[in-house]
Amino acid sequence: MLALKNIQILYDRAIEAVRDVSLEVPTGQIVALLGSNGAGKSTILKAISGVLYQEDGEIMSGSIQLEGEQISGRTPRDIVEKGVLQVPEGRALFATLTVEENLLMGGFTRSRAETSEGLERVYQMFPRVKERRTQISGYLSGGEQQMVAIGRALMGKPRLLMLDEPSLGLAPQIVDTIFDAVIALNRDTGLTVLLVEQNAQLALQTASYGYIIENGRIVLDGAAEKLRANDDVQEFYLGFSGGERRSMRDVKHYKRRKRWLS
Amino acid sequence: MDFFLLLVATGLVSGAAYGLIAMGFALIFKSTGVVNFAQGELVMLTAYISFSLYTTFDLSFFPLMLVTIPISMLIGLVLERLFIRPMLGEPIFAIVMVTVGLAVILRGVTIMIWGPDPFNFTAGIPTEVVYIGSVPFYPAQLYLIGALAVMTFAGWAFLRFSRMGIAMRAVAANETAALLVGISVSRIHAVAWMLSAAIASVAGVLFAANFKLAPDLWFQGLKSFPAVILGGLDSVIGSAVAGLIIGMIENLFQGYVGQGLREISGFIVIVIVLMVRPYGLFGSKDIERV
Ligand SMILES: Nc1ncnc2c1ncn2[C@@H]1O[C@H](COP(=O)(O)OP(=O)(O)OP(=O)(O)O)[C@@H](O)[C@H]1O
Ligand SMILES: [Mg+2]
Repeated sequence: MLALKNIQILYDRAIEAVRDVSLEVPTGQIVALLGSNGAGKSTILKAISGVLYQEDGEIMSGSIQLEGEQISGRTPRDIVEKGVLQVPEGRALFATLTVEENLLMGGFTRSRAETSEGLERVYQMFPRVKERRTQISGYLSGGEQQMVAIGRALMGKPRLLMLDEPSLGLAPQIVDTIFDAVIALNRDTGLTVLLVEQNAQLALQTASYGYIIENGRIVLDGAAEKLRANDDVQEFYLGFSGGERRSMRDVKHYKRRKRWLS
Repeated sequence: MDFFLLLVATGLVSGAAYGLIAMGFALIFKSTGVVNFAQGELVMLTAYISFSLYTTFDLSFFPLMLVTIPISMLIGLVLERLFIRPMLGEPIFAIVMVTVGLAVILRGVTIMIWGPDPFNFTAGIPTEVVYIGSVPFYPAQLYLIGALAVMTFAGWAFLRFSRMGIAMRAVAANETAALLVGISVSRIHAVAWMLSAAIASVAGVLFAANFKLAPDLWFQGLKSFPAVILGGLDSVIGSAVAGLIIGMIENLFQGYVGQGLREISGFIVIVIVLMVRPYGLFGSKDIERV
């Protein structure tokens, strides 16, 4: 479905966030992209969605193909219309809008009929979201917000759903609910998923294939069970001290709680 | 008591003009984050264009607006494409400076075309005085207040129920997220300018019909600033209400305290608002959740 070939990405024409990344997401599969803070995971998703320019980021070389068709350089709207939807890191809801308005906006590129159909589906999948539909989304709990964020992306009728750290800062039961929903979508509707995570344990239980990225490079990839069994993977995570914050990290105003493989 | 009623009534009239102009400001600020310093000039230019249409075709008020509004929207669109779009990605401050420059250009162009002398412009509105209770009104005054009511309701319904209106609020709330659901942010910006220009034209025509059409009309843009701040900068409906409040405060100050105070009373309100409620009466306090 999706293939990145030798992607290199610079911010401000100077900071090399992604050096040389190639990865593939086969149709109908869940693929995990793992890495620590600042490894370049979100940058890759922004590149696929075509929103890098907002942060003065640019794809310097390489290609992004969706079913053989070049999609780098397309507008974010084009990419959404092609069925590539992203649930951004930190959820990024329209905080001043109600839950239902958020969902409706998720269907912005779709017809009225598709939108009301999608709304039903999301409410069925997350009854908690339905209960909160008239509330201002900014005041929901983190877990509810994550469900709305996923629901909003589903409203765009994705063929490929990209999730950027959906477990970030959430209680374990909520994480379970969310991951169960994603797995069910993949199993029942064949939805293709690219899952970005720092929680390697969780991601490798969910995905069938995984890539591990460090400092903008893929350092390891393989079938999920192989990676899970690999001692190096655990050591890779435990040995890495992601404690020091870089300047960009400090600007982000939501709190992060990273859960490390133990 | 009659004196008080009269002050309130005239306050409502000038307040309605402030409210309309402030709504135009708020609409652009809400969806683009830019304080448009050319809003007053947009009011002036569209009023003059309407004046030319009026003298050429001799239309009555509603047909006149039916022609004026689409032309104004076109002007809003062109200005956005020409001056604002190329600035995309530049710091907001730079874009605001562009609107300051745009203001000077529009002022110059208007005087170049129509000259510096004031015109009488009825905009096709009848001129016989009507009484509501014991208070006399010119029809143009009632049109102005009525226009504010209609625009406020239309603005509310648009932002609340229409797909485009909700998208506008979505862009205001989170631009990146808006892009990620496929909303074309640049198109939303263009729509904001078009609608803002439409409101500006209604404000301009009715202001001119109530007072006169003169090249100092742009100054009403600055005078509406207290209403913009009181309304909370980004609240379209709030600006309308705030306009009425400022209009009345100004008139009551003038009536009971003293002439000179009319001009500054609005700005006194700004200072107080900024100290007590920096996000205005209706503006959105940023919702931030951790
Ligand atoms: N807007 C930006 N301008 C400049 N540099 C940036 C920008 N965004 C990210 N970077 C840098 O690019 C690198 C990759 O960042 P990215 O956000 O992709 O990491 P990540 O893997 O998503 O990390 P995290 O797990 O913390 O979200 C980091 O070194 C970061 O400092
Ligand atoms: Mg990230």
